[in-house]
Amino acid sequence: MFFRLVGDSFGRRPRHKLLTGAALALGMGVATAALSVALDVGDRLAREFRSLGANLVVTPKADSLPLEIGGVDYRPVNAGAYLPEADLPKLKTIFWHNNIMGFAPILEVPVQSWTPASQTAFAPKINNETTLIGTWARHAVAVPDGGTFLTGAEKTNPWWQVDGQWFAEGNLECVVGQNLARKSQLRAGDIVNVSPKENSSPAVALEVTGILSTGGVEDEAIVAPLSVAQRLAGKPGEYRKLYVSALTKPEDAFAKRDTKTFTPAEYDRWFCTPYISSIAFQIQQELPGTEVRVIRRVAEGEGQILSRVQMLLWLVTLAAMLAAALAVGASSAASVIERQVEIGLMKALGAGSGAVGFLLAAEQLLLAFVGGGVGYALGIVLARWLGEKIFGAAPEPTLLVFLVVLGLAAVVTLLGSAIPLRRASRIEPAPILRGE
Amino acid sequence: MTELRDTNRAMFWRIVRRLLGANRGRLVVMLLALGAGGAVTAALLNLQVDAKRRLTTEFRTFGPNIIVAPRENSVHGGSPETLDESLLRRIPQEWYQRGIKVVPLLYLVAEAYKTGSDRRVPLVVAGKGGSTMHVGVNGPPFESLISCDVGTRVAAEMQLRPQEKLILQTRVREQPCNFNPTSATGGPEDDQVIVAMGAAQDLAALPGRAGMIELTVPGTPQEITNCIASLRQLFPDADVRPIRQFTEGEAKIYNRINGVLTATIAVVLVLTAFCVMAAMTNVAIERKMDVGLMKAIGGATRRVVRLFLAEAALLGLGGGLIGAALGILLSIGLGKAVFGVAARPRLIVYPVAVGLTMLVAILSAFPLRRLASIRPASVFRGEA
Repeated sequence: MFFRLVGDSFGRRPRHKLLTGAALALGMGVATAALSVALDVGDRLAREFRSLGANLVVTPKADSLPLEIGGVDYRPVNAGAYLPEADLPKLKTIFWHNNIMGFAPILEVPVQSWTPASQTAFAPKINNETTLIGTWARHAVAVPDGGTFLTGAEKTNPWWQVDGQWFAEGNLECVVGQNLARKSQLRAGDIVNVSPKENSSPAVALEVTGILSTGGVEDEAIVAPLSVAQRLAGKPGEYRKLYVSALTKPEDAFAKRDTKTFTPAEYDRWFCTPYISSIAFQIQQELPGTEVRVIRRVAEGEGQILSRVQMLLWLVTLAAMLAAALAVGASSAASVIERQVEIGLMKALGAGSGAVGFLLAAEQLLLAFVGGGVGYALGIVLARWLGEKIFGAAPEPTLLVFLVVLGLAAVVTLLGSAIPLRRASRIEPAPILRGE
Repeated sequence: MTELRDTNRAMFWRIVRRLLGANRGRLVVMLLALGAGGAVTAALLNLQVDAKRRLTTEFRTFGPNIIVAPRENSVHGGSPETLDESLLRRIPQEWYQRGIKVVPLLYLVAEAYKTGSDRRVPLVVAGKGGSTMHVGVNGPPFESLISCDVGTRVAAEMQLRPQEKLILQTRVREQPCNFNPTSATGGPEDDQVIVAMGAAQDLAALPGRAGMIELTVPGTPQEITNCIASLRQLFPDADVRPIRQFTEGEAKIYNRINGVLTATIAVVLVLTAFCVMAAMTNVAIERKMDVGLMKAIGGATRRVVRLFLAEAALLGLGGGLIGAALGILLSIGLGKAVFGVAARPRLIVYPVAVGLTMLVAILSAFPLRRLASIRPASVFRGEA
């Protein structure tokens, strides 16, 4: 009988139920879409922030101070310490290796550069003192557990633009900074000769494959494969500086504490969270003799903005859920108010207040689950569309959001109908049926 | 004739009043739905305007984003070119009020040693000017002992302890200074000693010169591009370039965040409107009896519809006025929670939010048009 009554109520007044259901579905759709986007946005934005490039820099612990002004290092090549290139694959074995988005070793060599044309008697002598930056453009690193990891300056310095092509690893090729190219009248396809300023390594002729523009000191420099720089510097298999771009979690008050004050449990928690400081620590453990420093300029701004945007979206989500809840509550309240006559009749026929309330609540709950389910589907479609439009990738639908939305729908409808239901249970059937 | 119209009008409003007051519960429900919609609309609109501005300010935690450097004309090794500090006077005053920071810098190589130690460490000394308008007139007067910010790696290399003195020496002079420790930045500052601009100029024997000027310009990517263009006009003989690492990355991120915010807010607003409408329509359908009665006693369809539209508009106005006010208050609180600074209420948001709420209320009364075509007799007979 109970189910018949519920079913009847749905069948008899389809339009009413449809409208309340629609309000519910729309409200829950808002909640789902906002929740999915808010859950997903942190990861997506963190990835976007990697377009700012590396956030960690690794240098030899025993290194002397660089004397770099305007991109020119005034320090002799023999001064300072170097690091072995062979250790680099170990970066992909740290606990958070999946968060290492890219790394690129750097070896700078002060060089003389000249074009073959400048050697002839008639051409203007174009002879420059410049820096040759040896690095990886797109280097396949063999990861110890099998497989390869493609990395290089393209990943750590995504704002570098090459007009032409990057040099190929292992070839005698290079790209030339745009200012140097203008001064030396170099174009892609030309040959540039370089010889180190401070040792007697033989000169090398490099083919220019592209013109590099970075907006930084590299505009004045030649960028070549690491192996070329190692050959010129007479430091085979070594580099001086390593840039690492890592996906991190914004630092909170916990991460800013001194690691020495941690209890073992806190230490584990810190170690197992991708804070920039814990990733730096893990890299330092893996590469002995290094000093890993956080590039504060990049990392701090990132954390701050990320946490603010995330908070902002959570608030928007909360506001959306609140509005949806109020509107849905209002809708279900209206649907109870309008049924006073029916309630009066039921009571006149001998139904107790409890039975009436239970019947109405069951009806509302059924509506909540149907509306909530439809709303979830609607919201997921919407969130996918939003995600694709903005980030080019849709957020994964999660069970969590589904459960939250269904729960929210049930709570909201019950709360919305609670006050009118209480009033309804106190209804005296006689005056209602008389039409008063 | 006018009298009749006056009576009609009085009657019209009387009916509207009665319609509103007839069912207290229904009135509360409708106001709640509309108020919620108005509040969310106002809060989100206000927050959106404010958040964009705050974000661009927030981006400046990345530091300077534009550099003015000397245009080099065939440098032959030797000392790098420098700029005249008086160039700074060309920067218009109102830029400083817009929050643009201008810092002249001068780099030089010096040797540093501790008193009582003969170990000399070559390092880079950076002179940093204050972000003030009167630089270039006269550097700070020469002091016998200055304070210098020593990078962490320099401090480690020289094994400096607090309160120790450090002497910077170049070919032209010696400058004693007090060790002032700094925290690691991961940037070139870690390897440098930073002193006041005047001291660096004295050390380098380059009075009134700057190696480059760093600008920190807040604003949207478009505003920054405009700023670079006007800087190029101000300094035709220098090289003005954005620090691409930050300008480009920022532009990308700003567009993404802006997209997320705008899209989320738009979706929330549209769906909230639908949601409120559905709730309102649910209530409006209940008015069948009222419509039937009005038509039975001779109400013309148009007047009946007008009555209900007036009621809806009034409800929208009421709900909107209360809701939007609450929403703006809410957004002030939210702004404070997110950015630490209360969002400035934008007056334009209030009428817009109220107007939107009224629009939604009127739109949701539209199903009543169908009711206007019903036959009173069938309503009273209890037929659907």
